[in-house]
Formats: sequence, structure tokens, C-alpha cells
Amino acid sequence: MIIATAVTHIYKQYGMSNLNHSVAQRQELFIALYKTAFPSVAKYVSRLGGSADEAKDVFQDALVIYYEKMVAKLLPEKDIAYLVGISKNLWLQRYRETNKQTPLDNFDISITVEETPADKRLLRLLTTAGKKCMDLLKSFYYDKLPVTELADNFGYSGSRSVTVQKHKCLEKVRETVKQKSLTYADFME
Amino acid sequence: MPTSWNDTLQIDRYLANKMKPGDALIFEAWLLLQPELADKLQWQQKTYTLIQGYGRRQLKQEIDAVHRQLFTEPKHQRFSHKIKALFNL
Repeated sequence: MIIATAVTHIYKQYGMSNLNHSVAQRQELFIALYKTAFPSVAKYVSRLGGSADEAKDVFQDALVIYYEKMVAKLLPEKDIAYLVGISKNLWLQRYRETNKQTPLDNFDISITVEETPADKRLLRLLTTAGKKCMDLLKSFYYDKLPVTELADNFGYSGSRSVTVQKHKCLEKVRETVKQKSLTYADFME
Repeated sequence: MPTSWNDTLQIDRYLANKMKPGDALIFEAWLLLQPELADKLQWQQKTYTLIQGYGRRQLKQEIDAVHRQLFTEPKHQRFSHKIKALFNL
């Protein structure tokens, strides 16, 4: 019951008025989700003969999917059943050979992003040479934080200046991606 | 292309499906007429993919840190014991 209350509390923080996805708040959210949903997932995996590592593996990927749906506002609040459901399906799909044909209901479980070695190199470059830009763009496009909050988090005077900066960053990163991709492509040939 | 038209912004809106259908059609016509615009679109799309990859990687690290915290810190011992018991650990 305490955990359910904690989850509600965190969802309130994620409400329209004060969307704060700072690292600390995400941590609080994940701890609550772990405590609420992971025992069911672990119980399921162990009953079917899976290992603790397998349970961890599928649950962590399920959390990523859950988070992405949550920030895109595609989930009802506190959808623990959904989180447990994706975990179970991921486990069946990955670790149970005989169940390869199991229909996956309506779960969208595409999680793996194929990264080429050139992409990895590029990302490494972008996050070392222009980390602030990457963090700003990530907060906007991945975490879907509102611009007012981006201004707070990144120390800009207001929505206007953070929008301008985001725009500059996008152009700068796009140019780097273009130049480096072409260079790496030459290098590979 | 209108001078007030900002390529980056228009590409952003187009890729996010935020354009009205009519505007999207006009934009697609510009893409055919202007190879530089199509080129920018291609790299901007790649940029979004990389940002997505970066976001996921960061998130996975945060989740993994939570896992370590839950299975090492004494204050979460009841929880970790309960899980470990399921796997006879």
C-alpha cells in the first residue's frame, strides 16, 4: 500500500503542472516501479525456470518501453499491469524457445536500436565534444520535457532563449552528423 | 522557397507530423525541387535517431543504477531478499 502511494505521489509530480523529469525524480519513479512490479515478474520467470539475470534483463527493457510511453502520454496512470505484461512477453520471446510462436497481444516490444560501429563512434564524439547540446536535445526529444523546464534545468533565462538554443544545437549536431558520417563512410571504403 | 521559411524548423515539424496535410504536400514538393533540403532532412532524421539512442542509453544506465541500489543498500534488504529467495539465491 505504501508503494502504491509512492507511485501516486510520483505521478502527481509528473502531472501537467510540474513535469519534472530530473534524474533524481526518475530514480524515485524507477525505485517505486521496481518495488511494485518486479516481484510479480521475478515470480513468473522463476516459476517457468528462468534465472534472476533474465528477470532483470527483461524488466529493465520493459521499464524503458514504459518510460517512453509515459512521456509520450500514451499510458494511463500507474499501469503496473502493462509493465508486468511487457516483461512477461519479453521473457517468453527471448528465453522460451518453444513459445516463439506466442502472439504478443498488443505489446509493442521493439526495443533494440541497431547501432553501427560508425554510429557508436559518432555518438561518442557528439557526447564528448558537445555534451551540453546533446543533453538539451535529449531532454527535449527523448524525455519530452516542456521548454519552461528545460530553461530551468539548463540555466536559460526563459522559454524563448532555450528554444533558440535548442534550434542552434539541432543545426550544429546535424552538421557534425553529416560531416562525420561522410568522413567515416570514406574511411570504411 | 519563402525566405521566412526556416528549413530546420520545417523539417522538424514535418518529421514530427505536426504539419497540416496541405502544408506537408507543399513541403514534399520542395523536397523534390531542392536537393539541399532533402539532404538536410536526411541528416536531421539521422540526428533524431542518434538522440533517441543517446536517450535510451542514458536511461538504461539510470535504471541499472537503481537496480544496484536496490540490491546492495541495507534499507532495501527486505525487497532484495524476497527476490533472491525466488531464485534460491
